[in-house]
Amino acid sequence: MVEFSPEVIDTVIRAAALLGAGFAMIAGIGPGIGQGYAAGKAVESVARDPEARGNIITTMLLGQAVAESTGIYSLVIAIVLIFTI
Amino acid sequence: MKYIDDPHRLQIEIIKKTYLISLLPVLSSLIAGEYAITLGFVFGLLIATLLLRLKYNNIIRALNMEEESAEKFIRNRYFLEYALYFLVLFTAARHANLNFLAAAVGLFMIKFTVIMWSIIDLLKDTFQRQIDEYK
Repeated sequence: MVEFSPEVIDTVIRAAALLGAGFAMIAGIGPGIGQGYAAGKAVESVARDPEARGNIITTMLLGQAVAESTGIYSLVIAIVLIFTI
Repeated sequence: MKYIDDPHRLQIEIIKKTYLISLLPVLSSLIAGEYAITLGFVFGLLIATLLLRLKYNNIIRALNMEEESAEKFIRNRYFLEYALYFLVLFTAARHANLNFLAAAVGLFMIKFTVIMWSIIDLLKDTFQRQIDEYK
């Protein structure tokens, strides 16, 4: 059986953690695309019914604030992987 | 949800409620003498508040644009905000005086408040409907 030195094992673990951080950051792209799409549709809705502007802005603000969470989760995981391992 | 037609008022209500809920972790960490947690939490909370304000201003700006340019504008602004989130978390991770997890929780407090508020409203509506049916 092949035995690896502790330095090699540490390097492999570090490389895997950095790779994991990179993969985690992919999750940050989704909310951006979704928010952009929602903004486009909100503009369309305001053009169709200008009186509902306040309601649309509120719904969009709350929706976008909550939708961002997944992106921040991925960011937290990536930073934890980069700095703690 | 109250003030659904007035986004500015709703935003202020969200911020007020968030700060009210945040008093609990801030005071308990202060009493426990964990000042790094307090500082990290307050740091995250302040940045989250400012980013909510920024998001509101961006939405107001986007609604005066064409559909495609609004889509592009909001998408680009999201990535800028994401970079700001990264800077906040990076700063919290690098500095010993700021607790990283507390800063992350501080960033999430507004989202947590919005979700809790929605759940409470949903429960209130359900109970009210049941009481009305019973009458």
